[in-house]
Amino acid sequence: MLDHLIPHKSITLRSVFDFERTPFNLVMALTTLLLLAAFAGGFVHYLMHGHHAYGVTREHPWGLLIAMYIFFVVSSTGLCIISSLGHVFHIKSFEFIGKRAIFGAIITIVSGFAVIGLEIGHPVRMVIYNTLSPGFSSAIWGMGVLYSVYLFLIILEFIFLSRDDHKWSRIFGLGGLLVGIAAHSNLGAVFGFLIGRPMANGVFYPVYFILSAMITGCYLLFLMYGYKYKMVFNDEMQKFLMHLGRLLGLLIAILVFFEFWRFLTAIYGNFPERAETALHILGSFNFWVGEVLLGMAIPFVIILYSKAKALKAMIYASVSGMIGIFFMRYDLVHDTLVYPMQTMKLKEYQLAPSWVEYMPTMTEWAIAFGGIGICLALYYVGENFFFLDPNEDDAYFQNYQEEA
Amino acid sequence: MAKYAMILNYKNCINCKACEVACKEENGIELGAKAHRIWVGTYEIEGKYPFLSIPSSTFYPSQCQHCANAPCEEVCPTHATYYDKNGVVQIDAQKCILCSYCMVACPYDARYVDTRTMSVDKCNFCSDTRLARGLKTTACQATCPTKVRIFGDMEDPNSEVSHILRTKEHFTLKAGIGTEPRLFYIK
Repeated sequence: MLDHLIPHKSITLRSVFDFERTPFNLVMALTTLLLLAAFAGGFVHYLMHGHHAYGVTREHPWGLLIAMYIFFVVSSTGLCIISSLGHVFHIKSFEFIGKRAIFGAIITIVSGFAVIGLEIGHPVRMVIYNTLSPGFSSAIWGMGVLYSVYLFLIILEFIFLSRDDHKWSRIFGLGGLLVGIAAHSNLGAVFGFLIGRPMANGVFYPVYFILSAMITGCYLLFLMYGYKYKMVFNDEMQKFLMHLGRLLGLLIAILVFFEFWRFLTAIYGNFPERAETALHILGSFNFWVGEVLLGMAIPFVIILYSKAKALKAMIYASVSGMIGIFFMRYDLVHDTLVYPMQTMKLKEYQLAPSWVEYMPTMTEWAIAFGGIGICLALYYVGENFFFLDPNEDDAYFQNYQEEA
Repeated sequence: MAKYAMILNYKNCINCKACEVACKEENGIELGAKAHRIWVGTYEIEGKYPFLSIPSSTFYPSQCQHCANAPCEEVCPTHATYYDKNGVVQIDAQKCILCSYCMVACPYDARYVDTRTMSVDKCNFCSDTRLARGLKTTACQATCPTKVRIFGDMEDPNSEVSHILRTKEHFTLKAGIGTEPRLFYIK
């Protein structure tokens, strides 16, 4: 039945484990297995102890798992947006990435759902009451529904891309793109709607989330193609990666611009809570080393000084970029909650007022990074099971180019 | 239909914490500092002896503000948080999915996780305990030795709450963010 639905390679259990035994591949395989084991361990620990296994508190109710969920859905939306440049908007050099990028979008959001499923206290109840008693004014409700529709649409998009049906793949691609952007900006609004948290409240996060997603999409595509081609690129690939690098450079420049004005407006006038929080963030290691240096400066400087031609350096810089993106997601959650909501209880139970602290537990680390293991494992299976590159089946790609 | 509110004559508070104990006892709140529906806050006393600031040593009892425009109600994805017919912000524990969004959204830190029901809990003006038994006071009010708390119906012009709101200057917490709290502090 699957044969009629989507073209795929024959796969056996032996072929799954039969990969080229290069040192790098072995390291990747071992890393994936360790991360999967970590996820399984974290999952069991969560089943045994529930939310007590997590380091979240009354004052800091969201933690690493929420950050990691955002990390994954940002990745998914980013891959979807960048891939749509090709097969929805027909920008030539991006056309061939469609299947791989959309497959990446599917597995990243699935990994995100796996992580958030262990953070939500009652996931089954969520499905029931999100349907029977929907809170339409809730950004979380909107995000959940839109991401579910988004996942459905990009799965259909992937199926039709694989079947070389460009009419329907484009329709579902456009649908997935629009719903994905709606869902993702809704996720930004989850924070932007917080009227009690001046540092998060406002228009910044819904817009920033889309920009940040596109940057993440670019980093991931550098990594996916760098790994796929083992740093040896043909002309077409060089052209694509150069275009991708230039696009990434522009997006990072816009992000720096956004962040500059975000912090200046937050500090200017010494607005209560917001200015203090902004200055606190600006004094943190996470912001300067994690977000600015790893997430923005290193990739941007490489792109700027090489005019986006240093492709190998950009692949390495994308690792730094993705670490930076992780810091951005973690800080997004922590910085939103860092200012204590101590309304007239400045010395509650003899605790002196201070910035709210949070330290993830081992269970949270295991589940959060175990999610990356799920993603890597699914990518490996997808690489072996589906045709993720057009040149693996010339007929499909030829038709695709002619129609384009 | 009533419109329940509470007035806090906070300058009368002597920080005996009888209200916290009464709340836990009446509503079966879990033991421990983290699980509390109401609290008495204190400032550090400002100044150096003998020039200590007397106003800074005031105690500040507080709790869920029962906002008329409650951020927690607005962000709840399943209507687990809702307004009852008396304008009290309530929680239906059966519908709570424990996404904790309400805890993040509440500007007053009034919510916590009840680890027995694994749902978010907070003050409900003793709706399911004392009010359900036909009493007219909350546990914290009834036990207070200095009459800090006055609970009643804002819609009833003859209630003590309405009388105080008409005759005494009062303020609400974080009034600038538009939550319209139903907890009023007498100046």
